[in-house]
Amino acid sequence: MNLKKILTLDSVKVGLTGSTKQEIIEELIDIIVANGRNLSRDVLLKAVMEREKQMSTGMNNGIAIPHGKTDVVTDLHVVIGVSQKPVDFASLDKKPARIFIMTISPKSQTGPHLQFLAEVSRLLGKDEVCRKILEAKSSGDILKIFLEGRA
Amino acid sequence: MEHGDSLIHLMTKLVFQLSIIIIAAKLFGFLVSRYLKQSSVLGEIVAGMIIGPFALGSIPLAMFGGESLFIIPHGAAIPIMPELEGFATVASIVLLFLSGLETDLKTFLRFAGVGALVGLGGVIVSFFLGAGSAILFIPGVSHWMEPKALFMGIIATATSVGITARILSEQRELSSPEGVTILSAAVLDDVIGIILLAIVVGLTKTGSSGGVEWSLVGSIALKAVGFWLGSTVIGIVLAPRLTKRLKRLKDLDALAMISLGLALLLAGFSEKAGLAMIIGAYVMGLALSSTDVAEDIRHRLEGLYNFIVPIFFCVMGMMVDFAVMRKVLGYGLLYAALGVAGKLVGAGGFSLFGGFNLRGAYRIGAGMLPRGEVTLIMASLGLSTGVLDSGLFGVAVIAMFISSLVAPPVLLRAFKGGSGYKGEMAEGGDSELKSIGFEMPSEALAGFVLTRLLEAFREADFFPRRLDHQNPVYTLQKDAVHITLYLDGANITCNVPPAQESFVRLLLTEEILSLKELFRSVEKVAESDSVERNIIGNLFESNEQND
Repeated sequence: MNLKKILTLDSVKVGLTGSTKQEIIEELIDIIVANGRNLSRDVLLKAVMEREKQMSTGMNNGIAIPHGKTDVVTDLHVVIGVSQKPVDFASLDKKPARIFIMTISPKSQTGPHLQFLAEVSRLLGKDEVCRKILEAKSSGDILKIFLEGRA
Repeated sequence: MEHGDSLIHLMTKLVFQLSIIIIAAKLFGFLVSRYLKQSSVLGEIVAGMIIGPFALGSIPLAMFGGESLFIIPHGAAIPIMPELEGFATVASIVLLFLSGLETDLKTFLRFAGVGALVGLGGVIVSFFLGAGSAILFIPGVSHWMEPKALFMGIIATATSVGITARILSEQRELSSPEGVTILSAAVLDDVIGIILLAIVVGLTKTGSSGGVEWSLVGSIALKAVGFWLGSTVIGIVLAPRLTKRLKRLKDLDALAMISLGLALLLAGFSEKAGLAMIIGAYVMGLALSSTDVAEDIRHRLEGLYNFIVPIFFCVMGMMVDFAVMRKVLGYGLLYAALGVAGKLVGAGGFSLFGGFNLRGAYRIGAGMLPRGEVTLIMASLGLSTGVLDSGLFGVAVIAMFISSLVAPPVLLRAFKGGSGYKGEMAEGGDSELKSIGFEMPSEALAGFVLTRLLEAFREADFFPRRLDHQNPVYTLQKDAVHITLYLDGANITCNVPPAQESFVRLLLTEEILSLKELFRSVEKVAESDSVERNIIGNLFESNEQND
């Protein structure tokens, strides 16, 4: 999967301001709504929260992957966000999260969404990459890490 | 009226024969797979031998006016009634249609390099060993272009990797360099075997005898390859459009049956074109193999397969004449040994040129050993066309038995120890597979979850393909990525290359979560009894008011 086609400067954000899981998710959805065309914030939020209800998407090592499926989108939408202060995300390892990867995909097309998450999680599996992302000062820096980390 | 009477008599007999065949085949198949841990096919063949016209089936019975159940028709090449032979013929078409349908053309093309080398090596060496043994040991055969020698040659080439695929998936070696090579080599092996058969049948029908007329051989070969290639290419181009139209029926059962109908049609045409029927059936399967409904067609033909294929193997067993078999036992054992040697030396040996070391070569050779239905179909074709006598048919049966018995233990032992590949396999072929497994509370639930997982992988653009008719073993394929998924009791196991591990873990998690959602809704039905109350409610209701 070519991350270059999916990730742009607009889909990466440093310095998220939310301090709760709900706030972080809403903040990320606002970015997707701003980047997309005619996307209903409520529908996206509902899709993501429904998935969170089944099982929290807080993974290990301060990474969370909130995602949802809804047919108001026709293709994959992603946003990557980093927060300066750790936020409790009900994670698997009980540690608070700082790196958030959100995807919204159509109900029938789970392939690209899983492929994207798999690609990203392969990068985030390296401590070195995580450290660099947390230290990054701008969206451009993070984008660079993801696009270069691939090679 | 007399004709009607004799027809009824004949049909009654056919019904009795089928009944005995089906019951015996299923019983012996079950016993052999349950207690001897061998393929049930062997049991079905043995059942045929026991109930057939050369054993129990020859006992005169009063109910048939002193005739035996299985009489040998006068002057026929095959010792069974033509009516029964009809069933076996349809079965061979079903078998080859499914065999074509299960062909993995994409994998084959992806690993065509080494796979082609190995498949070709196995075919060439086996063919010449088989044909050579005919020249040396069959009286009256002096040249390898004679029909008998040709038939013994092509019978030696057939490989059936069903058994190998099952063992390799159990050993988690299916995606190893050796495993992938065996699977793609087997595709080529089938294709070359079928083309060779087409040529040989063509030659036999024109009555070539000894003297080699190369122009005749050339023209027949050209026609055979032309028919095969032409119909395959046309089929592959037309199949997706055809299935797209047929999908509009919104009835996958109808689609599966129409596909089978087309397989029979092409089988008939290929016979008319001077080739064998099974070639057309195989080509039709091959054409449909790359369409997205291939697995659905296969699944829907399973019932037919379970009915007719044991009949086929049982009838094959019935054709074994013990009196003649005793005379050819020596040659049969030699032929079987040459068959093993041909695959080890040919397939294994040629893999040495493809980057494998001796250990890898041995594994690949061992993986190509098992023989199955194609061997028997080829042999019965030889018998029915009068090229082979019942002795040589017996030889083919011996070879099939021995290879099927020898292959599993040899294969298991071969895959112990270190790597058999010299270099690093390209991406997607890592031999270090990650295994992800989980257990369900019951086998029934595990089966249900498995079908859901297959559907989820399909949605993620993977092509699931069932490898074994008897066991739920699947490969899921997307470009060069191979994942195996199989069910063992209530356990679901997924073997993935490391690069795909996180993808598969995510997919499995999401699917389990959505299943849980489904189960919760089932729970709602389970908690309240309103549904069954509504259904059963009025059972003992007084109906006096209604009167």
